[in-house]
Amino acid sequence: MSNTLIAEGKPRVLGQFVLWVLLIVGVVLTAKRFLFGLGSTTNLNDSYPWGFWIGFDILTGIALAAGGFTLTAAIYIWGKKKYHPLARPAILTALLGYIFFVIALFIDLGRGIVMWRMFLPWNWQHESVMFEVGWCVAIYSTILVFEFLPSVLERFKQQNLMRLWEKLTPIAVIVLITLFTYAMTSSPRWAAVIFAITTLFELLQMIGVVPRSRPVPILLIMAGVLLSCLHQSSLGSLFLIIPHKLSPLWHTPLLPIEFLLSAIMVGPAMVVFEGIVSARIFRREPELELLSGLAKAMPILISIYLVVRVVDVAVRGAVFNAFELNPQAVMFWAELAIGSALPLALLATPEIARTERGLFWGSLLTVAGVFIHRLNVSVIGIQAHTWQSYSPAASEYLISLGVVAGGLLAFRYIVRNFPVYGESASRETA
Amino acid sequence: MKAMLIDSTRCLGCRGCQVACKQWNGLEGEETSFLPAQKEAAPEFANRGYQNPHDLSAKTWTLLTYNEVELGGRLQWVFGKQQCMHCGLDAEDRNKWPACVVSCPVQALEKTKEGPVIWHTERCIGCRYCMLACPFHIPKFEWDKAWPSIRKCTMCFDRLAQGKEGFTEPACSKTCPTDAIVSGERDELLAEAHRRLEENPGKYYQHIYGEHEVGGTCVLHLSSVPFEQLHYPTNLPDEPLAVNTSRAMKAPPYVIVALTLGMIGVYSARRRKIESEAKEREGSGHE
Repeated sequence: MSNTLIAEGKPRVLGQFVLWVLLIVGVVLTAKRFLFGLGSTTNLNDSYPWGFWIGFDILTGIALAAGGFTLTAAIYIWGKKKYHPLARPAILTALLGYIFFVIALFIDLGRGIVMWRMFLPWNWQHESVMFEVGWCVAIYSTILVFEFLPSVLERFKQQNLMRLWEKLTPIAVIVLITLFTYAMTSSPRWAAVIFAITTLFELLQMIGVVPRSRPVPILLIMAGVLLSCLHQSSLGSLFLIIPHKLSPLWHTPLLPIEFLLSAIMVGPAMVVFEGIVSARIFRREPELELLSGLAKAMPILISIYLVVRVVDVAVRGAVFNAFELNPQAVMFWAELAIGSALPLALLATPEIARTERGLFWGSLLTVAGVFIHRLNVSVIGIQAHTWQSYSPAASEYLISLGVVAGGLLAFRYIVRNFPVYGESASRETA
Repeated sequence: MKAMLIDSTRCLGCRGCQVACKQWNGLEGEETSFLPAQKEAAPEFANRGYQNPHDLSAKTWTLLTYNEVELGGRLQWVFGKQQCMHCGLDAEDRNKWPACVVSCPVQALEKTKEGPVIWHTERCIGCRYCMLACPFHIPKFEWDKAWPSIRKCTMCFDRLAQGKEGFTEPACSKTCPTDAIVSGERDELLAEAHRRLEENPGKYYQHIYGEHEVGGTCVLHLSSVPFEQLHYPTNLPDEPLAVNTSRAMKAPPYVIVALTLGMIGVYSARRRKIESEAKEREGSGHE
């Protein structure tokens, strides 16, 4: 067992120390926020009700968790088995991303403790984008727990539970997806349609008409992809209702599609970035061959996003706003140049895309680009009253950092104690 | 639907409406001050030197704005009134709901069939999406509270609900000494507004603010000057803002079904291909 776990080499005491300090500072400030209200810890105001937490913790955080669904789709649905060693780290990142996202959301919501009211049928309001977002988070988090369970069961050598997991998971997925569809439509008919499709597919697998994927039930992976697509795009839909407040550089009917495309683009970038960084931290050699194979998809994905983005801005005539001298125009160019054009150039050059350094910078810039885009949409592009302005308070940054530090510490703990990297995690290919 | 007509040409700027609003709704007073320099620089306050307090808040649900406007060669005050516009003319059709109502995930905001848009604090989760969505910057948040609420003008829904004689109109219109604010049925008030515009074309700027804005609102404004001089949002479409999201919100069931079928198709096809390739390799290996 021990050889499948990661030995960390010399403990990186300083890095850990910093993370713990950040976590504790974050916890203390969060306590202040809950005792004295959002006004005591943020610069949010009535003109800017959403700020850095929405832009970074929530919009960026969820986009960066996209590695989970893009990679599992490539491996299990498309059948790129060679990337299997990357699957578990990506699923773990997505799971932790979502868990810490919910924590951040809990801090940001004025009355986070009563979040569950969204799930009471008499409160359902399926015309609200926020309602779809909330449901996607809840159901996809559950799916991610199911996806990560094998690592836990393996760790405790629960073969029987593992078999139970394999049997029960498809049923759980069918129930969850049917419930989700019903909540989104309030229509028993739509719920029945999706119930019939998924059940039929499961039955076809049982009688062997369609090959079964083992040990991971393919319905679980499909549900993850489905909910991710809906969640990523619905985060963009949130801003559809403010054509009068959001700069035309970002407001477009295509917002949900742009959010989805950029998430699909940043998914592999995040896997590559994380693969390199975690290998260096845990003193392993990064799986360069795998990572650069994955990075081959990125120029295509970035190009698709970039074309949609640029054509959309041009066709709507918003391009004129890009040549004004204001913070919005500057951030627009920063987003496209640093976040899309530059990584595209790096990753499309084979000599650069093969090297560790090239992969590192290409993926990091792609991640940065998505971060800037999300921040632009949720904060910088918003034009409300001019007499009130917003720039994040120090405690907003610190609480966000605390959340990230908590996530990294949890990641480190799990990687060291559960089979995430290594032979056991990738035994399908072995 | 119940509605209000606010005619700024009749307004004296007494702010009795503000006081009545605070009294009826039990709202705390605010410590106010004249404009600090930082705010003076903002375009909204370039012609509002006497404006006090500066904006609505969780404690101030209606506010008279003092706009210095050149009118007939003289500098004059033209008063605007900030309060909830009670958007929407159809409580049944979700596609015509006000932006705040359609954006709320838990139905904490409600477009009543009587007209007023009201809030149910006990449902609110504090996401503040209504504040972002509102085109008039109306819902306000209690930033200084550990257990905050969204608060705004309710058109004195609690008074309307009581329905006793003399107790049926909003506190602000009840108190207005010059009938600059009147309340009643929307179609009657709209007809009255049109009548005033026709009878006094020189006195009024020929536009009823709220007749068509974001699909029509239950609060109608008349003014002697263009509404942008009063800093009312004038970049709003004539259709309800809800149409922007309703298209996207109709998509989920189709996306769910199409994506599921698509993934099943791709998976099945790919598995067959991979397995037949594997068999071929195996077969050639044995030979």
